[in-house]
Amino acid sequence: MTQSPRQHEITALLAEWREGNQSALDELYPLVYNELHRLARRYMSRERKGHTLQTTALINEAYVRLVDQKNVQWANRSHFFAISAQIMRRILIDHARRHAYAKRGGGAQQVSLEEVAIVATDQGRELIRLDEALKALGEMDPRRSQVVELRYFGGLNNEEIAGVLHISENTVTRDWNMARAWLYQQLTGSGAN
Amino acid sequence: MTPERWQQISRIFKSAISLDSEARAAYLKAQCSDDDSLRAQVEELLASHQRAGDEDFIGGLAAEAAAPLLIDDDAAGPTRPTLTKGQQFGSYVVLDSLGAGGMGEVYLARDTRLDRTVALKVLSSDISQDKRRMQRFRQEAKVASSLNQPNILTIFEFGEVDRLTFIATEFIDGETLRHHLHGKRLKLPEVLDISIQVLAALDAAHDARIVHRDIKPENVMIRRRDHVVKVLDFGLAKLTEKKVSQDEEESEAATEFKTAPGFIMGTLNYMSPEQAQAHAVDVRTDIWSTGVMIYEMVTGVIPFSGATTSHTIVQILEKDPVPLTKVVQAPAELERVVAKAMAKNPDERYQTAKDMLIDLRSLKKRLDIDAEIHRTSSPDTPAHEVDTDPGRRIVLLLALIAMAVVTASIFAFSVWRSRRSSPSSSVTTPVAPPVERTLTYWITVQKFKDGQKYQAPFTLAGEINFESSYHIRVHIRSPEQGYLYIFNEGPPTAAATTEYVVVFPSTTANNNSSLISAGQEVQIPEKSWLEFDQQQGVEKLWLVFSKDTVAELESARQAASPQTKNLIADAGQNKVVGDFLAKNSIAKPEWEKGPSLTTIKSPGNLLVYAIKLEHH
Repeated sequence: MTQSPRQHEITALLAEWREGNQSALDELYPLVYNELHRLARRYMSRERKGHTLQTTALINEAYVRLVDQKNVQWANRSHFFAISAQIMRRILIDHARRHAYAKRGGGAQQVSLEEVAIVATDQGRELIRLDEALKALGEMDPRRSQVVELRYFGGLNNEEIAGVLHISENTVTRDWNMARAWLYQQLTGSGAN
Repeated sequence: MTPERWQQISRIFKSAISLDSEARAAYLKAQCSDDDSLRAQVEELLASHQRAGDEDFIGGLAAEAAAPLLIDDDAAGPTRPTLTKGQQFGSYVVLDSLGAGGMGEVYLARDTRLDRTVALKVLSSDISQDKRRMQRFRQEAKVASSLNQPNILTIFEFGEVDRLTFIATEFIDGETLRHHLHGKRLKLPEVLDISIQVLAALDAAHDARIVHRDIKPENVMIRRRDHVVKVLDFGLAKLTEKKVSQDEEESEAATEFKTAPGFIMGTLNYMSPEQAQAHAVDVRTDIWSTGVMIYEMVTGVIPFSGATTSHTIVQILEKDPVPLTKVVQAPAELERVVAKAMAKNPDERYQTAKDMLIDLRSLKKRLDIDAEIHRTSSPDTPAHEVDTDPGRRIVLLLALIAMAVVTASIFAFSVWRSRRSSPSSSVTTPVAPPVERTLTYWITVQKFKDGQKYQAPFTLAGEINFESSYHIRVHIRSPEQGYLYIFNEGPPTAAATTEYVVVFPSTTANNNSSLISAGQEVQIPEKSWLEFDQQQGVEKLWLVFSKDTVAELESARQAASPQTKNLIADAGQNKVVGDFLAKNSIAKPEWEKGPSLTTIKSPGNLLVYAIKLEHH
């Protein structure tokens, strides 16, 4: 594989970010966002014809395309996955919001074809509510919120999450159980809070 | 919740989760000692953990769940072929865009060959690419259209221009039933009128072995000029379904709606149990959906509607909706028809649209005759119209009764036919409705946080113990016309006389008129939200609903004005209101809290009821 200037740049930015340079993340974000968004759209149109969308496969593909494979390090990879999970969350929520708040009303007289938009809106709302609850969780307990983000939005398995967060797999499982129970409570309105 | 509290809960939760129920109880007792609220919080979380596991909550991946959003968005993206006004498209000229959805776009267009206006649906390329399915869809849609049934939308042409697949159909100048309903209820004759036409369309289609699969208010159009109903998109639902495997393509077997764990394609609320479970469907799925739609038209409430898609599915599979007559005043016969259409087991439903159609037609006929008898024998008839020849009048009445008997026996026959399995039922004979007043109410809650709206508003059937940060709106409706007065009474104070605020009517509510029409929805407040003040306790919202105007309340409310923030600024008048409420609220009205609204009934011509709003 030939190394593009972009790969070089992204690999360097990842390394900088890993060493604590926050502005590297700001530069990294739009680059990864664009790539993931482009890939997601392509994957979705493929999905139409009977494939399911594999987030991990998608992020992996982005990783291979964006990051210089000669200088590959586990730390780079896990950081890339962490940021990708965050970005996937953002992409999906952006879409969900657009669907939940735009598109309604106006001129839709003869349009029963709009059914799909209506369904999407329902799913979109659920996703937005989950995102909001996850934000609230992040304020109380950033790590547990990150476990959910990596797993649900990033598609990482427990082993990968353990690697990204430097915790044991058992802790990942426990964090997940607690976070999921709390999110469930928030979304279904059960419980006193 | 403070971070410390959260840490405390999570520590106990973490250990408790691995214990069996007995050990868990002992552990919780030891850990929480006398802190009951801590224990309750942990227990709730443990219960949520259990349910989240059972329901596979967020068990899939967000991207899978959101896949339809991205697809749809993709279709709406720059790659999408968009027709513009005035553009020539084959033999059509685009006049206007009517809207868009995931399956394509809809335009108003002129067919230049035949010089007629059509609706042009351009299908998105993803959909039209699946040739086999397109073929099937064309076939079904064409057959349905060729039935020439007046309630089925006519399709003029399927075609392709510049590799875009389009369908040209007759253009209906009107609105969808969804728009028409707009969250309100319809009157009984209109409900019957619409349902009968929908069923006539289904009857014809079912005879041709075509199942619609997606009957819902969005797919029913009402033509503006003559209120003729048209059912749209026969066969189209098939296009959005996913086959479990290609082999089953021809066998009409299980169709797969699931696009991802926990998410299902299609509008859920009208889906039959077999559809929701992705089982094989037949004509009886349309019967179910029609039943749901009638229920919604009559009550204004969708019978199966949960907070999330999975909640909705559970309701469809398990919940028995509140019977129609418990929600609104409706004939028992209609309740029976709707309940039968919505039987969970397809074998217990109407087996054909025709049977259901027959029942609704006889109900309509009976109601028409009732109305006729009521009209001709009504004492309100002005004197000069009264038939003074007693002989003739008796003949007329006899003729009407004879008609009623004939109809009743047809009706009895169809009831007998469709109800052989439950012999205990009796045919209801038309009786005058008892004199009573009925009101329904429900409450919308908007949470606020730091002065900002927080989370989406939700509705409640009735009162709960409100948080002070909750802002609320109360909605009230009656199937009858009448005079409505609403007073707010704050928590008890030391003051000698209770003071009342006139909440309804006011200069901003109902134009300062207390008269409301049947089915009119009153929303309090109309635009803003009701906030609780700092003073804790129970607020009362007094509802007075009377057949006739109430003189003392009319004069008392004159003592309130926008200047006094609608507070009755006169001790004497406050006492009048207080006395009136005390005197008339002795007879406790019946009330019933349904899943989405509370219904109150009171015999006689006057209903007085206090909604108690407790907050802390």
